[in-house]
Amino acid sequence: MQNNTKAPTPTHRLDMHGEPCPYPAIKTLEALRSLNDDDILEIISDCPQSINNIPIDVRNHGFKVLHIDTSTPSVRYFVKR
Amino acid sequence: MNFLEELKKHLVSFWLPVPAVIALGVLSVYYFGITGTYWAVTGEFTRWGGHALEFAGVDISDWGYFKIMNMNGNIFTRIDGVMIIGMFGGVIAAAFWGNNVKWRMPASKIRIYQALIGGIIAGFGARLGMGCNLASLFTGIPQFTLHAWFFTFAMIAGVYLGVKVTQLPFFRSKVKLEKLSCSTPTKIDTDVDANKVKRFFTIGTFVFIGMIVWAIYLIISGHQKLGMAMLFGGAFGLIIAKAQICFTSAFRDIFTTGRSQMARAIVLGMLVSSIGIYSYIMIGVPPKIMWAGPNAIIGGALFGFGIVVAGACECGWMYRAVEGQIHFWIVGVGNVIGSTLLAFVWDDISGPLATSWPKINLLESFGNYGGLLMNYVLLALLFLVVLKLEKNYLKKLKGKTDNAK
Repeated sequence: MQNNTKAPTPTHRLDMHGEPCPYPAIKTLEALRSLNDDDILEIISDCPQSINNIPIDVRNHGFKVLHIDTSTPSVRYFVKR
Repeated sequence: MNFLEELKKHLVSFWLPVPAVIALGVLSVYYFGITGTYWAVTGEFTRWGGHALEFAGVDISDWGYFKIMNMNGNIFTRIDGVMIIGMFGGVIAAAFWGNNVKWRMPASKIRIYQALIGGIIAGFGARLGMGCNLASLFTGIPQFTLHAWFFTFAMIAGVYLGVKVTQLPFFRSKVKLEKLSCSTPTKIDTDVDANKVKRFFTIGTFVFIGMIVWAIYLIISGHQKLGMAMLFGGAFGLIIAKAQICFTSAFRDIFTTGRSQMARAIVLGMLVSSIGIYSYIMIGVPPKIMWAGPNAIIGGALFGFGIVVAGACECGWMYRAVEGQIHFWIVGVGNVIGSTLLAFVWDDISGPLATSWPKINLLESFGNYGGLLMNYVLLALLFLVVLKLEKNYLKKLKGKTDNAK
């Protein structure tokens, strides 16, 4: 599940602290559509359950998952178009 | 890497959800065979509401619903109660092992009201339908009780409505997309406190071992079923938390982002557990059959709507609550309030909605093999419904993208 690559430097961030599912996943997809190809989006979710939705939704909708950091209670996702 | 390090790595990381749900299906079969009851949680929460009323001086001895629920004993002497203690043991161990424990406040007041009101509606609906995502879906359908099928299809309709409501502008997330520059400080503690992580891991291990010791004590002191219930509860809790199993997300996310992974996993889990439960019923363990009346349909729809508004069902809030997510404490309180409300009105509504309707066992209505076949036909139908709903979402999405171009 977790990427071993190093966390890339994000150009944009969605800080979803305190937001329950499904809002983090919905927001992520909306944000990705508004970004350019070179932009890197960091999503922070403090609901670990997002591990079963954000990465899958991002890939299902044709976007890329670059890195996932699960080492803290807030999970960080790095994705791009 | 030595064995202990390898083991620790597995206890720290998340587990894959699909095999986890199938494992839950298999475990729930053995739980039924050994204890004679199915894996369920809301019934016990309802009893807690009853005990709270008793504690407050209310005489509940003539409340019909509490008579059905059997209020004898307490959380330490009932199979359901001890199983839930085990589940809490499992989810606490998983949360501490994975370094997932932290206080988290809801992002806004709207979410607090959502959690409470959604929790109440879900608790009310679950008890009206005689079970939640477990007893009226995941572990209910494999019991061959028709009510679970009524509940499940009504729940999907309720979930759809819930998604429509929670996506209204008023409820949408107000979080703004930030543009970052090199100087933007990072928001969370990227420098992980290694000592804290270590301490948390030890706490998880203590809780887990404590639960096993308690279960073994129960078994050798002559309460074998209670001890086994605690062990099963521990396994259920550990798996739902490590794999972050969210029954609420299963049907909801087909409508929100077009993801059906969890819904398909749940159907697979039920395909596996149906045949196992069937075997136990054939050797004489009586199945749990409930009234197949409007109660299952209305209860299912209310439950489906409520869990989407709240953000979690009765099983999902448990592991999120011990992770320190205050939102889900509120959902839990809402559930107990909702189920107690149902108990309060039960004597007025139970006749027309539930008790005057037959309890239909598919194995009696269609014969043993006919009933088994019927359950599998319905499960196949449910699988097709899931695929169709997912396809509809993707088709709609494609339409939107084409228009945008």
